[in-house]
Amino acid sequence: MDSAAQLAAIAGGDRAALRALYDAEAPRLFGIALALLRDRDRAADALHDGFLNIARRAGQFDASRGAASAWTGAVVRHAALDIARRQGREIPTDDPALGDIPVEAEALTQVAAADDGRRLRDCLLALEESRRRGILLAFVHGLSHAQIAAKLELPLGTVKAWIRRGLAQLRGCLT
Amino acid sequence: MTPDEIEDLAGEYVLGTLEAGAARAVAADPDPALQAAIARWEARLAPLSALAPPAPPPPGLWARIEASLAAPVVVPLQRTRNWLWPAWAAGASAVAAGLAAFLWLQPAPAPQLMTVLLSRQDQPAWLVQAEGGGLRLAALNPQPAPEGRVLQLWALPQGATAPTSLGLIPPSGAVSIAPGRVAPSPGMLIEITLEPPGGSPNPRPSGPILFIGRLAAAAGS
Repeated sequence: MDSAAQLAAIAGGDRAALRALYDAEAPRLFGIALALLRDRDRAADALHDGFLNIARRAGQFDASRGAASAWTGAVVRHAALDIARRQGREIPTDDPALGDIPVEAEALTQVAAADDGRRLRDCLLALEESRRRGILLAFVHGLSHAQIAAKLELPLGTVKAWIRRGLAQLRGCLT
Repeated sequence: MTPDEIEDLAGEYVLGTLEAGAARAVAADPDPALQAAIARWEARLAPLSALAPPAPPPPGLWARIEASLAAPVVVPLQRTRNWLWPAWAAGASAVAAGLAAFLWLQPAPAPQLMTVLLSRQDQPAWLVQAEGGGLRLAALNPQPAPEGRVLQLWALPQGATAPTSLGLIPPSGAVSIAPGRVAPSPGMLIEITLEPPGGSPNPRPSGPILFIGRLAAAAGS
């Protein structure tokens, strides 16, 4: 069963299909939540909430709008972001390794290896480094504007403007 | 909003940089142009998820998910930690029992089915009572629906797969449902969702669940 068919089965209430999705995807999805929350208990909460949302909303998945893995990843990401927001994003950001997420050309090969990732990698590399870094810190690690500003030692207004422009640039590059 | 503003808002939503209130409003917004822009951004940025290394989830997590699916009293939005959930449920029961004791101290009616729906801040928000074979809803802490949205009441009998609409909730917050439209039963799920004007365009809820609870016989009634 491909993953779109799996989501269709889940939408029909097929519990075994949900279990199969969990068995196949839980490590990838838990990794996404863990990168955002940096706490195993909270990441487990996010995966729990995410799977309840997958079960409830599988009928909303539209294969013409993207891959099933992108959809499940987004559902779990938003569950994790909701948890981060409820905690006032009081998630440690002082881990020095947090700044070391890959932003260089060769490190972004993981992005390029994903479906449709090559183009995104190239467009990211066309961004100025701070904009690229800000966007990655927000998407992968769930940092707020203020946390990114602190991390990059830049004024808050600058970070907000850069991220907005960086997104607009990405959209232009990808369209 | 102009198309560019919609794209900007959708992009920041998907990136995760919107604050809680704004993010909730965007997620619940029924505007098809905004939702389509969100879907495009999700597809564009999805490959970035590959930067998060996979990690094995804790053992027992599937069992927890399965348990929550079997007893969907969950508004996942309300819980932050595993241990908070039993406390929340116990709190809700205690509030329900307390109110029941207060409301039905003098007469001695048949066992009263009721539930209290809590707000996101765990404050009692709505009292739902079975009454004369129908249902009665009262606001305990009336809050207007957000501008341009309405609150819609639903009931889901235990074992049913689709909820039944019990109609829109007027600004007064008081609703009486006639016995013919609903048959209150123990375990029936009552929920209130946020919907576009006129209510959900579908026979099912289209917006987020704001409040949820299960009818139960109040102790001592």
